[in-house]
Amino acid sequence: MGDYEHLLEVSHLKKYFNVRAGSLHAVDDVSFTIDKGKTLGVVGESGCGKSTTGRAILRLHEPTSGSVKFEGREIVGLSKREMRKLRAEMQIIFQDPYASLDPRNTISQIIAEPMKLSGTMKKDEIEQKVHDLMETVGLAERFVNTYPHELDGGRRQRIGIARALALNPKFIVCDEPVSALDVSIQAQILNLLGELQDNMGLTYMFITHDLAVVNHFADDIAVMYLGQLVEKAPSEELFDNPLHPYTEALLSAIPVPDLDNQTKRIPIKGEITSPINPPDTCRFAKRCPYCSGQCMESSPELVELSPGHFVACHKVAEEHAGGTWKVDEAATA
Amino acid sequence: MEENKVLDEVKEVAEDTAKEVKDAAENAAAEVAEAAEKTAEEIKDTADVPASEQDGKAAPEYVLEIDDLYVEYDTEDALVKAVNGLNLKLRHGETVGLVGETGAGKTTTALSILRLVPDPPGVIKSGSIKVEGQNVMELSEAAMQEIRGNDVAMIFQDPMTALNPVFTVGEQIAETIRLHTDCTKDEADEKAGDMLEVVGIPRARGNEFPHQFSGGMKQRVVIAIALACNPKLLIADEPTTALDVTIQAQVLDIMRGLKDQFNTSMIMITHDLGIVAETCDSVAIIYAGRIVEYGTLVDVFKHTLHPYTEGLFNSLPNIHNRTAKLKPIKGLMCDPSNLPVGCPFADRCNYVTDACKEKLPEQRYVSDTHYVCCTAYDDPNFRLERSKENG
Repeated sequence: MGDYEHLLEVSHLKKYFNVRAGSLHAVDDVSFTIDKGKTLGVVGESGCGKSTTGRAILRLHEPTSGSVKFEGREIVGLSKREMRKLRAEMQIIFQDPYASLDPRNTISQIIAEPMKLSGTMKKDEIEQKVHDLMETVGLAERFVNTYPHELDGGRRQRIGIARALALNPKFIVCDEPVSALDVSIQAQILNLLGELQDNMGLTYMFITHDLAVVNHFADDIAVMYLGQLVEKAPSEELFDNPLHPYTEALLSAIPVPDLDNQTKRIPIKGEITSPINPPDTCRFAKRCPYCSGQCMESSPELVELSPGHFVACHKVAEEHAGGTWKVDEAATA
Repeated sequence: MEENKVLDEVKEVAEDTAKEVKDAAENAAAEVAEAAEKTAEEIKDTADVPASEQDGKAAPEYVLEIDDLYVEYDTEDALVKAVNGLNLKLRHGETVGLVGETGAGKTTTALSILRLVPDPPGVIKSGSIKVEGQNVMELSEAAMQEIRGNDVAMIFQDPMTALNPVFTVGEQIAETIRLHTDCTKDEADEKAGDMLEVVGIPRARGNEFPHQFSGGMKQRVVIAIALACNPKLLIADEPTTALDVTIQAQVLDIMRGLKDQFNTSMIMITHDLGIVAETCDSVAIIYAGRIVEYGTLVDVFKHTLHPYTEGLFNSLPNIHNRTAKLKPIKGLMCDPSNLPVGCPFADRCNYVTDACKEKLPEQRYVSDTHYVCCTAYDDPNFRLERSKENG
């Protein structure tokens, strides 16, 4: 084992897609770290690049530039063969349990597939492990020879989780693992993921658009907007003291199922700007209630304002340097 | 004797103020003398009709009355009982949230109101659905076509598939207007432009096709179509499920504004109790095709009665208390093709007793506005954990 500070260290990661209209900046200069045994929640609206970030880290999308270090080891540029070995340690759970399972394979075949591919286990070992995994994720043994279409969404997602756990990974990208599920089932899956983390020391990158879920589940939260990281902080800090105007608006938009605690909504005007050939301005500027001239001139850097709390906003950084500025104070001013 | 009995029955079915119930019951009682075999509910309906005719505004008390609705899907494999004895009433300008899991019968109920249940395999077995006092089950297809999109409009869940890709959005809005009103093409186009502005889309974009719009904007177009003829009843089937939170907030604001502006009644089908808290006046919790708890927002959120409702609340991550552990409802929803004799929730319920598995619980009113279907309340001291906490 090498020396490393963080289990995962992503720096200046970029992923551009060439489309007819130009270059689509899906992930644009994103840097963050995740420590062992922790969960980083990544939130943002659809199209903000959160899934692409997750996939670029696993090199399911080849990053355009930047570096991803796993256990201190650079993985961008590794050969296919080396990458394949590493994949055992880095897994992904997909969003749609209806589309991510091969309909022609039985449950046991689906869960066994990663072990077969790794080529390190004997047939009876695999069988035993499939049995164990099904127990771990709470699938009854009678489902061993059923096909995915016979099962409901919650059970299918459990299969996806069992498959991701098959090779004893250290790090799992959970790409909206509960979005397609009913709330009662969603809670079952979230609790399962939590228990697995406690028992196996797993590290998660938890991608979701549901802020209530991420607040419940993550240690740190990163907010993405149009391919960029705009704020990152410990969950509690982010919810109590959001600094970026976008984060604040996003938090205020969550419908709260509690009659006594309704939040005051801060509207975001207009639609998202195009990520194709974006100008070098703050990308939130057009929708931002606090936009000033400086915001249209350059893109703000992500800076650490208090320990663990990173923000990319000209206004916040400037006011922070001068003293006490906060988003909500500005809103009332 | 007989009059008293009918009075009692009327009290049971009418979720209304004491005075209105009394009036209705008196009317009903008067008619009972002539037609003793009629049920109290039918009498109440007939008692209502003359009142509305005199009014001139043609405004029965309820914009929608669903009574004992049963809908089945007769598939090759099994007989799926989607809706099993559902009752729901909706006043003018009221928004009711219909909350439940996938497969609980929410969408089937909505489709039944418009008589759009795919047939075959869907069959509306029994029950009545009255829109503005008119039983839609008895209408001809032509008359039904008049109601759809005009008196009753629906916003479908998925804006990506609800629009026709080969017509501009302006044409699609104008189509509804021309179908239901006597106006020229130009007038309809003009009105379509107005509707786009109502939902916050520049008029000029009416010439664009659906694929040129983002998800949030498509959903706003769908809302514009639904509202084009000022419907009396708007059925919104998970209108924001496919949208991001910030766009969801915008769409909900628009819908709320329209409700205030046009006094439209709304059925908000959703599984998100947060949306219910923000937009609805009353809440119906639906499980296995029946409403298991019904009441005002405060009734259901603060004085929760049904164990299933409690389970839904416990399953939600609470953004104000992030360390609280989620308490999911155990197990899965029962198979609608194989419903148990007793309470369909019994297998998942934390408070289950033997009595629950013997008979289907009946509606039990705890106040004029709030009822629950749960056998556990046979014990007068029974209370949910959640209610104990709420004091």
